[in-house]
Amino acid sequence: MASQGSIQNKVAPLTIPGWVKQLPLLMMGGGGLLALVGAFVDTKQFGYSYLVAFMVFLSLSLGSLFLLMMHHLFDANWSVPIRRFVEHLACLFPVLAILFLPIAILAKTIYPWMTLDPALDHSLHVKKVLFNQVSFYVVAAALFGIWTFYARGFRKASLEQDKTGAASCTQTMRRYAASGVFVFALSLTLAVIFWMKSLEHQWFSTMYGVYYFASSVWLALATTYVIALVLKRTGPLEHVVGNRQFHDIGVLFLTFTVFYAYITFSQYFLIWNAAIPEETFWYVKRERGSWWGIGMLILFGHFVVPFLLLLRIDFKLNAAVMIPLCVWAWMMHFCDMSFNIMPVLHPEGFKLNWIDVACMAFFAGVLSKVFLKDLNSHPVYPQRDPRIAETMGVYVEPAGSHSK
Amino acid sequence: MSAATSRTYGILAEFETPADVMHAAEQVRDAGYKKWDVHTPFPVHGMDQAMGLKNSVVGYFTFVGGATGLTLGMSMIWFMNKFDYAIVVGGKPLFSPLYAFPVSYELTILLGAFATLFGMFALNRLPRLHHPLLKHPRFRGATHDKFYIVIECVDSNYSGVETKALLEKAGGKHIEMVEE
Repeated sequence: MASQGSIQNKVAPLTIPGWVKQLPLLMMGGGGLLALVGAFVDTKQFGYSYLVAFMVFLSLSLGSLFLLMMHHLFDANWSVPIRRFVEHLACLFPVLAILFLPIAILAKTIYPWMTLDPALDHSLHVKKVLFNQVSFYVVAAALFGIWTFYARGFRKASLEQDKTGAASCTQTMRRYAASGVFVFALSLTLAVIFWMKSLEHQWFSTMYGVYYFASSVWLALATTYVIALVLKRTGPLEHVVGNRQFHDIGVLFLTFTVFYAYITFSQYFLIWNAAIPEETFWYVKRERGSWWGIGMLILFGHFVVPFLLLLRIDFKLNAAVMIPLCVWAWMMHFCDMSFNIMPVLHPEGFKLNWIDVACMAFFAGVLSKVFLKDLNSHPVYPQRDPRIAETMGVYVEPAGSHSK
Repeated sequence: MSAATSRTYGILAEFETPADVMHAAEQVRDAGYKKWDVHTPFPVHGMDQAMGLKNSVVGYFTFVGGATGLTLGMSMIWFMNKFDYAIVVGGKPLFSPLYAFPVSYELTILLGAFATLFGMFALNRLPRLHHPLLKHPRFRGATHDKFYIVIECVDSNYSGVETKALLEKAGGKHIEMVEE
């Protein structure tokens, strides 16, 4: 077949050095220990640093869950080879639920509204329906339940298809996707309102949910690109992942770069234009001190630079451009989450605290450990998906349609 | 009809299936022809690679058009609102890239789209009123159930005998000359 040429991507095989394999454990242990020390040294700083790390890594699983739903809703074939590890990324929700516990415990330290009297605070009084402790904990439990249900549902049907090859598994996954995409939109919005936006409960923005959604999928795509490339070059996906996958992930990455910018700008623009103090205070706070610089960094680093780089097709296929860009995307998302969360604690400006680093390392360590365990205990791509041959560029003639 | 004259457009070969025409296209590509085309009733996946087609350069037109639109929009609003007829609206600055952005952005899209469309026309040499293939009686099959390869006489590799032999070897049927 003609498309064979593009599937045999000429990249050197890669062997992961031993010390890299030890990294997750080291980060989990080292980061966890340091974060624990931080929790006792400076509980408030720990709470905020931990929240930033949590929101960064929650993005990854939410974005992955969305990619899975899109795959099934559009009946895509290009994303079949990368689907299995995206399923694993989405299945990190139960772990994230456990990792949420420190936030649940420290909620009163992190969220100012928890300790305010609604009778004395008008904006809290009118938002009491959502912002009360019972809602906070019930919603958190429900959200993790919903996400775990869908993520596990996808992976269960997918793994079953590896054994049976039944078309009914694909249909099951489609049903999950069709119902899940609505639940996903609502649940993500609720999550980000409760866990991030409620830090400044007086604020209004109807775009906040979709804003977090855009950067979540952006981050998930950057991660997907790197994982696909590593798995290709180390062997497991060598013959199933090709230029088409990298190109399409790159295209979506570009799409969400633009989408993120569009949403971020729209949120800012509406608030800037209306100039109502109830809304502007959020941005006024974030234009003080070095937060101004972080804002500019997000404008240029989160949008302009990736946008210009990703315009070119050959850059989307070039690991020397894409790997640094994907790492950069993680840094930008960290800055973005800090920009949203940290001004509450540090109105004077952005300050990278050692507890920030410890919490990020801890999350990275724990989640990559779980991810790698999942990855190694199941087939690395859907073995008997009806579209697997098609996506590899092999034409299998349907039964009973032989041409003369 | 074997020798190419100045009145001859090219040579046409007919194929029965997408697979046949694709393999033939690979052979024509490998023989180094540049001015040739494949005509099929529906898109055939993988044909771009089989023909050795590169990515279209139309994207560069889009980029230049879009960049022009953005610059034009920003400078137009700056000129009107700050320079030529300064007027305060809603207590906002006389010029800010923020309020100028939506309009500039629309102009980016508009000029980007125009550049794409007209750049594509320029690259395709469109519009044209007539094409030699359209009056060839056999070519009607291209909109129904037949697959064709056409190699133009102006191709530097073209030679009446060898090109015909190549198409025959590739499995082409009814190899015929197309008059200008």
